[in-house]
Amino acid sequence: MTLRDQVRQAVTAVASPTTAKGHTGSARGTTSDLTIDETLLLHSAGWEPVDLVYGISWWSIPWGVWQWATGEVQEASAAFTGAAEHAAKQLRQACEQAGGSGVLGVEVGVRVSSHHVSIELTGTAVRRIDAESHRFEFVSDLSARDFVLLTRAGWWPLGLATGASFVVAPRRTAREWASQQGQNIELPNLTQALYLARERAMERMQRSGATMKADGIVAVKLREGRASSSVRVIQFVAIGTGVHLRTAAHRPIAPEMVVPLDEVVRAFDVKSLRSAGGE
Amino acid sequence: MQPTPEDELPEAATRRLTGGAWSSGLSVADFASCLDMGMQPVGYVQGYAVMQWSWYMATGGFGMGMGRGFGTMGGGWAGTPQRRGQYVEQWQCPHGFVSAEHRMYGANYELTWLEESWATGWGLAIERMIDEAKELGATGVVGVVDTMRPLVGGSTEEFRASGTAVVVPDAPHLATPFSTYLSGQRLAKLIEAGFAPVSVVATMSAVRMLGYCITHYQLAGSTVGTWYGSGAGGVSGVGPVDQVNRAEAAARSLAREHVRAQLGSDILHGATLQRAEREIGEGDLSIQCTLKGTRVRRFKDFDPLPDAAPVVRLT
Repeated sequence: MTLRDQVRQAVTAVASPTTAKGHTGSARGTTSDLTIDETLLLHSAGWEPVDLVYGISWWSIPWGVWQWATGEVQEASAAFTGAAEHAAKQLRQACEQAGGSGVLGVEVGVRVSSHHVSIELTGTAVRRIDAESHRFEFVSDLSARDFVLLTRAGWWPLGLATGASFVVAPRRTAREWASQQGQNIELPNLTQALYLARERAMERMQRSGATMKADGIVAVKLREGRASSSVRVIQFVAIGTGVHLRTAAHRPIAPEMVVPLDEVVRAFDVKSLRSAGGE
Repeated sequence: MQPTPEDELPEAATRRLTGGAWSSGLSVADFASCLDMGMQPVGYVQGYAVMQWSWYMATGGFGMGMGRGFGTMGGGWAGTPQRRGQYVEQWQCPHGFVSAEHRMYGANYELTWLEESWATGWGLAIERMIDEAKELGATGVVGVVDTMRPLVGGSTEEFRASGTAVVVPDAPHLATPFSTYLSGQRLAKLIEAGFAPVSVVATMSAVRMLGYCITHYQLAGSTVGTWYGSGAGGVSGVGPVDQVNRAEAAARSLAREHVRAQLGSDILHGATLQRAEREIGEGDLSIQCTLKGTRVRRFKDFDPLPDAAPVVRLT
């Protein structure tokens, strides 16, 4: 059937108030934030979207921790961990409720203010097409494309591994400040405080990966910047997807090499998925 | 506000749509793709609605007073219309009388008046855009763009919708043209995958959180009564802010359920969820979630696609 015929068929379907066909026989309409490319790619790998799911958690940070501390602000790190675990738990529950086996393309929003940390997770629950049961398997911030590639190589996502560290950059003593005037020299107290905080954030993320029995963590994203209203408070956040190997060994993907001959600016013709042109 | 009848398009719009060259808001590539699919662009269509606007219901002269007491929640506050299934949750102070300023009660509740005004504004803009498409005898509107922006004066918002009306020759006439945020190659893939675009759908959910004492302490970072424990109303530093978490979760599930109510057994494709928060006062929040996407209907089964072959581009 040509693409034009399919367009006419689609319009006919809109004209008739009939219900859905195919795999969406559920009474509840499916909701998904996947693009059509992602939907198609997942389908080719045997998966389909079920529902838009979310998890969000605010945890409080007591007053005074930023002002009076030097070095790491333990309360903020603890609030981050609590919020991350709580939000991930909600996401998992929402996925299970929707009948999904995993959540893909999770967008992670982290906000830190003086008195709270909030973590917001939004993604699409997916499940295997035609599978009898849908046991919960994973939460991941990987895209559908990364998920398909990863699983094809024998690796499976498990969950979001997260870690954070918040540090109040220490000040120099008056004597140090005076003796260091007019020189370009290292400020070891700052180097060490920031270095330590980065390592701690990564360490916590790796520990959270180990807790979910991951072999490793892929697509690690490191964020750093000011936290709260003080310029001396710096945050380090590390987030990635914990993965484990399900097959005996890593399976090579062996991609084919292609030389594209088209020029993007001249690609006006709509491409059919199955044959050239679609006419 | 009454929906604008079809014959009330601005007279310039009627003139524009009946004469002159046709117009299209599509990019050149999307335009070419639509022609390939047998969709002929017939006109750039648009709809607008300017609304008097407040996020807080403060301009109405009534405000959202705390004075009535939460025991009469069902009795209603000024500006909060009641609807079956409206989200309401209450919290009560565990401390007993502390002071006149102590927040004895707290509540989360759905701002149905705000949701309804948003739905009215958005709906009017989309409806007027569709009316223009009808005027052109269009089968559908592709590449819809909708925005909301404040106008002058601070208390007005304009809802704007635009898209390109297309005609599919030999296709059945649709009383209401279909509409979609997609166009071009992505629309072609959608249709080839077996999904027919039905309409753009969007909803805004709003939840107000009036913090009770515990929430207030938590958001202010206060530590209170740690010696008698959280069970008796102690607030000790790091912990979940339950009332806010409930409000956040409610805002999202309301958005999803409101959209689902517009879907029937169809599918919401390419959804985007946007969240906004307004702090009204210390310990008081209003949380809004906007959820948009294209409602699509499966008209044929997914033909199994071959496994996608991984490639490395040599450019």
